[in-house]
Amino acid sequence: MSTYWRTFKTAAWLGWEMDSNWTEPWLFLIYSIIKPVAGAFILVFMYVVIWSINGIADPQSFAFLYVGNAFFIFVGSTLFGTFQVIQSDREWYQTLRYVYISPISYYVYILGRAFSKILVSIFGVLITLGFGFFFLHVDMRFTPDRIPLFIVSLALGLFVLLAIGITLGAATFLMARHSQTLAEAVPGVFYVFCGVLFPLTILPSWGQSIGTAIPLTYWFEITRRILLPFQYNTGLAAFGDWEILAFLLISTFVFFGLSLGVFRLGEYLARKAGKLDMTTSY
Amino acid sequence: MNEVSARRSDLAFRIALNLRSIRGRAYPRIIGANREPSWIFFEAVLPLLTIAAYVFIYRAIAANQIVNANAETAARILANTNALVASVVLGGAMVAFWLNVLWSMASQLYWEKEIGNLQLYMMAPMNRMALLGGMAIGGVFMTSVRAISTLVAGVLVFGVVFQVADPLMLLAVFFVTLVALYGLGMFFASLYLLWGREAWNVSALLEEPIFFSSGFYFPLGGLFNYGGWGSVVGIVGSIIPAGLGLDALRQLTLGQTAFGGKFWVLSAPVELEILLVLAIGFLVLARYALAYLELLAKREGKLTSRHQ
Amino acid sequence: MAYAVETRDLTRVFAGKKRRFRRKRAASEGDEQLGPVTALDRVSIQIREGELFGLLGPNGAGKTTLIKILATLLLPTSGQAFVAGHDVTKDPFPIRQRINMVSGGETSGYGLLTTRENVWMFSQFYGVPSKVAKQRIDELMHVFGLWDKRDAKVRLISSGQRQKMNMIRGFVTDPDILFLDEPTLGLDVNAARTVRDYVMNWVGRERGKTVLLTTHYMAEADEMCDRIAIIDKGKILACDTPEALKRMIHTQTTFRLEVDPLRDTSTFQGMDGVVNFSLKDDASKNRTELTFILEDEAPVAEILSAITAQGAKVHALRKTEPTLEDVFISMVGRGFE
Repeated sequence: MSTYWRTFKTAAWLGWEMDSNWTEPWLFLIYSIIKPVAGAFILVFMYVVIWSINGIADPQSFAFLYVGNAFFIFVGSTLFGTFQVIQSDREWYQTLRYVYISPISYYVYILGRAFSKILVSIFGVLITLGFGFFFLHVDMRFTPDRIPLFIVSLALGLFVLLAIGITLGAATFLMARHSQTLAEAVPGVFYVFCGVLFPLTILPSWGQSIGTAIPLTYWFEITRRILLPFQYNTGLAAFGDWEILAFLLISTFVFFGLSLGVFRLGEYLARKAGKLDMTTSY
Repeated sequence: MNEVSARRSDLAFRIALNLRSIRGRAYPRIIGANREPSWIFFEAVLPLLTIAAYVFIYRAIAANQIVNANAETAARILANTNALVASVVLGGAMVAFWLNVLWSMASQLYWEKEIGNLQLYMMAPMNRMALLGGMAIGGVFMTSVRAISTLVAGVLVFGVVFQVADPLMLLAVFFVTLVALYGLGMFFASLYLLWGREAWNVSALLEEPIFFSSGFYFPLGGLFNYGGWGSVVGIVGSIIPAGLGLDALRQLTLGQTAFGGKFWVLSAPVELEILLVLAIGFLVLARYALAYLELLAKREGKLTSRHQ
Repeated sequence: MAYAVETRDLTRVFAGKKRRFRRKRAASEGDEQLGPVTALDRVSIQIREGELFGLLGPNGAGKTTLIKILATLLLPTSGQAFVAGHDVTKDPFPIRQRINMVSGGETSGYGLLTTRENVWMFSQFYGVPSKVAKQRIDELMHVFGLWDKRDAKVRLISSGQRQKMNMIRGFVTDPDILFLDEPTLGLDVNAARTVRDYVMNWVGRERGKTVLLTTHYMAEADEMCDRIAIIDKGKILACDTPEALKRMIHTQTTFRLEVDPLRDTSTFQGMDGVVNFSLKDDASKNRTELTFILEDEAPVAEILSAITAQGAKVHALRKTEPTLEDVFISMVGRGFE
């Protein structure tokens, strides 16, 4: 157990250093703020434009998409955190072979690396939410009695994300230089189908089916139920808060199991195909 | 030197040398990319999802707006929403080029340094602009597949209707926008020559802020109409050629009267002129920046240092 | 006389690491190494056309820095360097047309291209017509034993095969001056032999072709080079033919001793008749190999008694012919390792 913990700690430290030590802390801070805030501004102006073109305001839809987008920062960074570990270690730093042959769990190592990304993204989420609340007057509330529910749902959501990330990240064992694209594309799937920016009801029925099968959909649903002071027809009204939490818990276990299996298969196939130390730049 | 070492350096030789260099550097991008079957899937299909997300945002808000609207207003909202969806599809296609400029042009020389190719390039007699030109041509080819697939999917999946009244003008705007964009990419590439990992982070930083300030997913006029800081951000975003290029492309494919004609920055011909200036400006800037920064890198010993 | 390469008081100082964007850290002992480093110190050499010239020195001696300057990749801090009669600082284009460089352990190339395509791509940067390039590539692939891997993607070949591919890349542009920086590093014995033979044959066969070879393999330098410059800490210590270099110490005597590990070697310093000495530990045998350059054989008895006084045993003692390494030891008082 101590080996796992040591691996996790070292990997998290390494991830943090890789992310942040290229510059001064204040510059890293600005960098960490600008990206998510600019991402939020795209949505703000999409809303402003459709509002001013059609002349009809819709603050509830705006609050819906703003909060969803803020929490989506976790999705992007966690998935990127897990996807890029294998690719960057293999092709950029060319250390994968050395880390891989060391007597540690590479799975735990990836978890540690991704954890540092989650820590940084907490900051981005808070800034985005704060900016929305104080400057854009996004309709949000946060009452103390909802704090325990929020913490539990956030923890479960992040666990599910990590598990999904490693499941998909294992595929990069076999891939060429596409993890950047993958890190852009897979969150895209969640962006569309998980009711992040718009209710599932706007999707065609097959899209709604996909959405209801992805655990993250329920995480976004309960997060909004906690933070928004109004009801919004999302197509998931039939599920109670505790049902959603239970579903997230089960999903966490299922995806962690799946991630272990896919991870082992990925490394087995990579070893078989000799792809553990390939470089594929073009 | 003796007759063995006699080498040509006349204009004809230099032209041939640089054309060969362009072809040589474009080759790995065109051939190499096609060799990786996963490329088609990742480059062409999956990014459509981001576009779909933005399309559904407009549709979801429009669906709410339409609930209590009368028939005339509803028709207007539908028409505007379709134009916004078309704007997103066009923006999504141009995003592919911008990402390619950032990741495969600007950061490329840094990447080449990491894998040990840069010193071999810098030792060769070809013009450095030929090297960047080859990268750009290969990049345009790779990215065009993604951009075209986005457009086709946009038309098929989202029912986007484009009305092109002046195809020649459209082609001119598109072509000049690409030249200006890749000219900017070449300029960035030379700036990145001196950087280490900062290069990667600067590229990452130039994603969302540029998507926003250049109006990739909404008409750029929306920023200017906001006044004050919106105009400032819009002007900054217009320096990235994709901003003005997109505005002109939207005008030429959706018609001047789309959105009541109130969300355009300038007229398409004026924007084309500005884009031409930007294209020439960035190429010239890239040429001199590269020469200067190569000298600086040679002085500081950064052409060959790895993992700095 | 036209020189293929000429340097005059060439100096290169690497400035300390600037902390432009980097995070500030408290000053520590480790920071000392960030200060300026003189990689080349007033180096003056002349390499004639058609010469196979060797630069011999330990790691960090300045060999690669010199090659980078000559290959137009790095500017000198002061002094001048001319390649094919052109100043590397002012006139790089005609130099680049005439040179190429191959470094040992190189990892360059695009993984998704085949070996043949990679070499072809680089030939295009020198303006070699495609047809000519392909013909040369095929010939060289046969010579270097890479023909079987001509259509293999670079990411799937071994590091030794990659090294061979880079050798081919160096020759395919038909350079007049070739810089070979540790070219046999990482190659197996047979492949290294092939490379050495080809390089020697290339210089001999093609009139006017020049090679500047850096290596820290003594035997390689001894066998291949017409002349050798011995370089250490950025300074040229000597420059002559291998025979002449060895003759420099022919009046001296070289002894090699294999002894138990010694606690103290300071007693040998300043001992009468000892010009210089070096020691190398052999961990596998738990022994130390001592090499002494002596004025004559007189100090041998004193050396032996100094060793046995420490309780160490002498396992072997032999008088040897001087090698290039002995020349180096005689000059700087240590071996390459």
